[in-house]
This record gives sequence, C-alpha cells and structure tokens, in this order.
Amino acid sequence: MHLGFTDFLFWAAGLIGHIVLFAVILTRHRAKTFPFFSTLIAMDIVRTITLYYLALHGTRYYYRVTYTSFAILDLTLQFCVAYEVALQVFRPTGEWAPDVRKGFIIVVLASVLVAAGLTSLPPSLAKTWLAAILTRGNFFASVLMCELFLGMIALSVTAGLPWKPHAARIAQGLGFYSLISIVTDAGHNIFGTDRASQISVDLSLMRMVTYLICVTYWIVILWLDEPAPRELPAKIRGQLIAVHRLVEYDLRRLRALRR
Amino acid sequence: MISDRSIYFVIVLAVFLAALCTAGAYYYLRHRRRRRFPYGTWESLLKRLSIVDRDKIALIAQEHLNELGPLRMDEDDSDLDATQIWSLIGGLKGLEVMERNCAVLVDLAFYVQQWYPEASIVAQQLRLNAREIAWHVGRLKAAVKTGKLETSFPDYAPQAITTYYLMTQRVLALYQAYNLPGLVDLQRAL
Repeated sequence: MHLGFTDFLFWAAGLIGHIVLFAVILTRHRAKTFPFFSTLIAMDIVRTITLYYLALHGTRYYYRVTYTSFAILDLTLQFCVAYEVALQVFRPTGEWAPDVRKGFIIVVLASVLVAAGLTSLPPSLAKTWLAAILTRGNFFASVLMCELFLGMIALSVTAGLPWKPHAARIAQGLGFYSLISIVTDAGHNIFGTDRASQISVDLSLMRMVTYLICVTYWIVILWLDEPAPRELPAKIRGQLIAVHRLVEYDLRRLRALRR
Repeated sequence: MISDRSIYFVIVLAVFLAALCTAGAYYYLRHRRRRRFPYGTWESLLKRLSIVDRDKIALIAQEHLNELGPLRMDEDDSDLDATQIWSLIGGLKGLEVMERNCAVLVDLAFYVQQWYPEASIVAQQLRLNAREIAWHVGRLKAAVKTGKLETSFPDYAPQAITTYYLMTQRVLALYQAYNLPGLVDLQRAL
C-alpha cells in the first residue's frame, strides 16, 4: 500500500499522541482508577505500529483483516470504558445506587435497539463482507456510545449524583468523538469508503483530526490533579449520620402505609 | 447518485442527531447549574424552591405527629379530615409545589456529596431518602389525576406532608450544622 504525506503525518501524530497520553497515565498513576481506558490507549499504540508496518510490508487483505480485528477490540474496550465511567458515577459508595441500576439497564437496552435500528437503514455499498462489517460496525458503535453517555448524564442529573472530574472529562472526550464519528461514519455508509473518493478521504480526515483533539484534551486533564476534597470534621460527620437516622425513621412510616 | 434509501437515512439521522444534541444540552446545562450552585448561583437554586405555606404544613404535620405518637400507625381520629388537609395544602397546586421542592432537596444532598466525598455514604442515603419522599408526593399527585384521591388521600396525604415537613426541618438543621452558605435564605424559602 502506498502512504502519502498526509497519511504519514496523521500516523505520526496519532502515535506520538498515544505515547504521551500513556506516559501521563503511568506517571500520574491513573491506570489503577481507569484500567480499561489505559488498556484502550495501550492497544491504540500497538494498533498504530502494527497497521503502519502492514501498510508498508503486508498485503491489502492482511491489512484489512488486522484493521477489522483491531476495530472490534477497540469497540469492546470503548464499551468497557463507558462501563468504567458508569461505575465511577453510579457507585458512589462502592455499591450500585439502588435507584439508578434499573434505569441504567433500560438505557443500555434502549440504546442498543435504537443504534441497531439506525444501522439497518443505509443501503449497503460495501463490496466485501469485511468492509460491510467495518462501515456498519463503526456507525453502530458511534451511535451506541453517544446514546450511552447521554443516558448516563440524564440518569445522574435526575438522581442527583455528582461526576468525578477525571471520569467526566474522559466521557466528554469519548462522547464528542463519537458524535463527530456518527457524521463521518454515516457519510462512509452513504458515499462508500473508497480512497479514490475525495468525500471519503475528507470524512476520514475529519474523524482523525477530532480524535487527535480528544487525545490532546485527555493528556491535559489527566496530567492535572482532581480538586482536593474538603475534610469532614468528626462532629459534622456525627450530625450527618443523626440526620440520616431521623429521616429513615420518618420514612419507615411511609413505607408502612405502602403495605 | 444518492438513492432514496440514503435520503431517508439522512432525514432519520438528522432528526436523531437533533434530538440527541437537544437532550444532551438540556441535561448538561442542568448538571452545570447544579455544580456551580455554591459559587454564585445560590439565588437561582432558591428560585426553584416554591413558596409553601409553612404554617399550614407545620399545622398538618404537628397534628399528625401528636395524633400518631411514635407507635400509633392505625389511628384515624384526626381533628383534621381529608377535605381540610386538602384545602390547607392548597390542593393539587400545593402537592406540585411539594414535589418540586423535594427535587431541590435532592440537589442539596448532591452538594453535601460534592463537597465532602468522604461523607458520601451518609449523603447517598440522604439523597435516597429525599427521592423516596418525592416518590410518595408524586403518588399522591397521580392519585389526584386518576381520580382516586378519595381512597388514596386520607392514607397518604398526612404522612407525606408530615415527612416533607420533617425533611425540610432536618435539611435546615444539616445546613446549620455544616455552617454552609445561604442558610438564612434557605430558612426563608423552606
């Protein structure tokens, strides 16, 4: 495969961006809090190097098979990152908040249904089954990720659960990238993925530029520390527990009426 | 040449994206407003607290508490009957005000959790309590709308109003204990 100057530029920028981000994750000890996100970035480094090698020395078929395999792995890890963020938001005490668990399952199921429905709409332009899986799979993943993050925001706002700063920023970056990807992947489904087509090339560039912006954003926010929490004096902690006990006492009466 | 199916796909996608962005913007703005509350938009939060007649709520609550005592759950000899209570809380409008205020109480628990993450276990319980009270008030409201008020109201209304009253008193006590900003305004609003 022939790689032009622009291809090489994006390859190099992507590789450098991922290496810097991974170094930030390791040096600032974020891997323990976000193991799936760290794995996703490590996988992206391996993917970029492998695909570059195959683009220069491999056949087109091997390149496509490897590309699709990494895309499936990437998709799986992105869902794991979404779940990782959900755990940070909806398990403030280490256990799932009971009033959001059912809502979260409904959000996931509804998101899968809507994404599948939208993915079935465009006509199939792909010449091979591998290309068909790739174009439709990418679109499905982008729609699903956007819906999941929106659902998580809606649930947390309704229930009154705060987001931790780093989890919120990772979700923002991934959500923004998925939103732009919906447009670029929809374009690929309509106009095809032929590299001879200028529209197809422009859409790919748009997606790559968006991703580089997100990587830069993650480098900055993961380098910075989260705001330090305030210390809770022992006296106030005791009062807080007392308030909770009193409210629980009131609620027992209401619960008794429901039986 | 773009096929009809592609045009149909683009239209559906445009509607989907518009809905996604609108919902995203709505919830994001709500989230931002909640986060920024203690640093300048305290007034906007208080505006969400609707004025309730505290004296009447307190009257119903105290009447109910005196009548029940700690263990007497099944007594039905209140001096205030269902019609009087309905009138005192201001009917459906009064219930809606209570429901809205419960949502603000959930927000107040959010702030405690936001400021002091180490107290998240207790704040989480408080948040769940506030949501449960909101659920009870919502059930009363639903009974009004489905015409089942006569059967639901005598059972639910005094207890829901009493719990709401006690909850507001305890949130005020909590803010007093923490010496959190805006206590005077909160006392006025609740």
